[in-house]
Amino acid sequence: MPDPAGTGGADANGAGPASGAGPRVDLARVKPYADHLGDGIVQFSFTLPVPYGLAARKAAQEWAAKMGFEHPEVVHYQELTDGYTYFVMFGESNQTVDYASLSDEGFDVEYMSEEEIEDFAGRQIGRPIVVVGAATGTDTHSVGIDAMLNLKGFHGHHGLEGYKAFQTHNLGSQVPNSVLVSRAIDLDADAILVSQTVTQQNLHIANLTELVEMVEAEGRRKQMILTCGGPRVSNELAKELGFDAGFSKGTYPHHVASFIVRELAARNGTGHGAPVSDSPSAGAGADG
Amino acid sequence: MLALVGLAKNTGKTETLAALLREHAAAGRPVGVTSIGRDGEERDVIDARIEKPRVQLQAGDLVASTSSLLRASGVAHERLSRTGVRTPLGEVVLARMTKPGSVEVAGPSAAADLRSVGEEMLLLGAEQALLDGAIDRRAASSPAVADGLVMATGAILGEDIEDVVRATSEAVDVVRLPAADDGSERDGDDAHVALARRLVLGADPGEIAALLSEHPQARTLSVDGALGEPFLEGLLAARRERAGRELRIVVADPTKVFLTRRGVRWFQRQGVSIEVRRTIALKAITVNPVAPQSHRFDSAQLRELIAAAVPDDIPVLDVLDESYLALAK
Repeated sequence: MPDPAGTGGADANGAGPASGAGPRVDLARVKPYADHLGDGIVQFSFTLPVPYGLAARKAAQEWAAKMGFEHPEVVHYQELTDGYTYFVMFGESNQTVDYASLSDEGFDVEYMSEEEIEDFAGRQIGRPIVVVGAATGTDTHSVGIDAMLNLKGFHGHHGLEGYKAFQTHNLGSQVPNSVLVSRAIDLDADAILVSQTVTQQNLHIANLTELVEMVEAEGRRKQMILTCGGPRVSNELAKELGFDAGFSKGTYPHHVASFIVRELAARNGTGHGAPVSDSPSAGAGADG
Repeated sequence: MLALVGLAKNTGKTETLAALLREHAAAGRPVGVTSIGRDGEERDVIDARIEKPRVQLQAGDLVASTSSLLRASGVAHERLSRTGVRTPLGEVVLARMTKPGSVEVAGPSAAADLRSVGEEMLLLGAEQALLDGAIDRRAASSPAVADGLVMATGAILGEDIEDVVRATSEAVDVVRLPAADDGSERDGDDAHVALARRLVLGADPGEIAALLSEHPQARTLSVDGALGEPFLEGLLAARRERAGRELRIVVADPTKVFLTRRGVRWFQRQGVSIEVRRTIALKAITVNPVAPQSHRFDSAQLRELIAAAVPDDIPVLDVLDESYLALAK
C-alpha cells in the first residue's frame, strides 16, 4: 500500500495526510483507497459454503455486487475444505464517511499517560479525586475492579490507587447496590466504578440499572460520575444502562483515569474536559 | 410530559412510543421525543438477534439526541441548540425535523436533565414531550420529571403467564403507592421519625432495632432517598421482637422504592405500609405478548389477566393488536 504523502496518518485538525504534494483528503468525505486517493478500492476476504468451481466464483462476484461494490474482482480463490470455498476479492466502494464531524464529536476521550493525568488533575481539579469501586450484586469477579483500582494494576500499568490524583476505595465483590451507594455518599465520591459480567440474563442488567436508579433516588446523579466495566460493556450499552461511560476488554487504568479527570473538569466547567465541540456542519443537518 | 417505562428489556416501550407517534402524526400535532437510554437502533445492544422498531418522526417534530446519531439517520433536520448534556454517545442537541423519517434517539441519562430537555421541547412548540425509558429504568417516571406514565410489560418477564401478571401487578402497586396525608410528618411529633440515609441504605438489623426502641411511639418513618428491601426486612425483624406495631414509611415518590423479592402488599400484610409525598399518574399499561427468541402468550388473555389484577381505571393495551388499531382509528 502506498502512503499518499509519507505522513503516516490523518490528524483530526483537518491537515490530513495529503498536505504537501498530491491531492488533499476531503475529511468530510473519506473513503478507502488502494492505488490512489479516492479510488475507493477495498480488498476483502470471506468464505462461501459452496464447492470450489466456476459457479462458486460467480456466486462470490454476484454477492460482492449485491453488497454495493463496483467492478468486483476475484483475485484469489481456493477450496477450504470439502464444500467450502475461500475468496479474496477487490471491489470499488462509492460510500464515504464524514470523518471531520466524527472526530469533533463529544466523548471521544483523548487518553492521557499517567504523568499527563497527574498534571491535568493537579491543574484542573486540585484535590484528591475520590473513586469508589465494587463488583456489585451477585458478581464474585473482582478481578476487573482490582486491575483498575489496586496499586498492582495489570500488564505493568498500575491502578488508580497508585496515582497521586486519586483516593480510591475498593469495596470488593458481591457488594449490594445500597451499600455501594451509601458508602459513595459517605465518602463524597466523585466517581463510582462497578464491574459486572453482563449476560443476556436480566439479572445482571437489572443490577446495573438499579445502581443508577438508586443514585437518582438519593438525588446524587448529577454529582457522581458513574462508570461500568466488563467484558461486554460498550458505550452503547452504558448509555442504555444509564452510566456515563462503559469500559470493555483492553481497558487500562489510565483509560478510566483519563475519562474521570476530563469529565470531572468538564462538569466543574474548569476546562476542556470531554470535548463537546460543534461540528463544522452545525445547524445544517443532513440532506434527505 | 409523558414517560414510557418498561418493566424489563423487550417489553415494547419503543413500540408504544411508535404508536403514540403515529397518533400524534395522524392528528397533525408536533411532539418532542427523547430517551433516557437509546431508541430506534436497528439491533438490540445486548442480543443482536433482536431487531428493534424504528422511531418515525414527522417534519416539525422536535427531538433531543446526539448530533452524530441525528446525522447518521440521514433525515433532514435543523439543529436548534446544544444542551451541554454529555452522554457516552456524545453531546445531546435539540433539533427540529424538516423532513419525516426515522431517527435514533439518545437523550440525557440523568432525570434532571431529561426534565429540562423536555421542558425546552415544550417551549419550542411540542404539544407533548415523550420521554422514553430504557431497560427497566424508572427515574423518568418520577413526578419530579414527568406528569404521567405509560408502563410497558410483557412475556419477557416469565415463561408462566401468571408470573408475568404477578410481576406487572406488583410493579403497578409500587407506581400507585398512595399519597401520605399531610401533617403526619410534622416535626416534634413523637409518632414521626425522619430516618438517616445511612441507616436506610446500610440496613443494619441492630441499628434498626435500636431505632425502634429509641422511638417507642414512632408510627411514621420518613425517608428522603432510596428505600430498599433490606431495610424493610430489618424493620420487620426488629418489630417482631417488639410485639407487632403497625408502621408507615413515607418516601418522596414511587421511584424511590426498590423492591425485588416482595411486593408492596406483602409488606402491608406484615404491618408495614408505604406512602408517597408525590404520586405518579399511571395512564395506561401496554403489553408485549412476545418474548423474543423465546415464547409468546395470547394477547387478549394476557391483557384480560393483567386488567383483572390491577385497579379498574387503568387501560391495558397491546399497541400491535387489532383491537388497539381499531381503537386508535
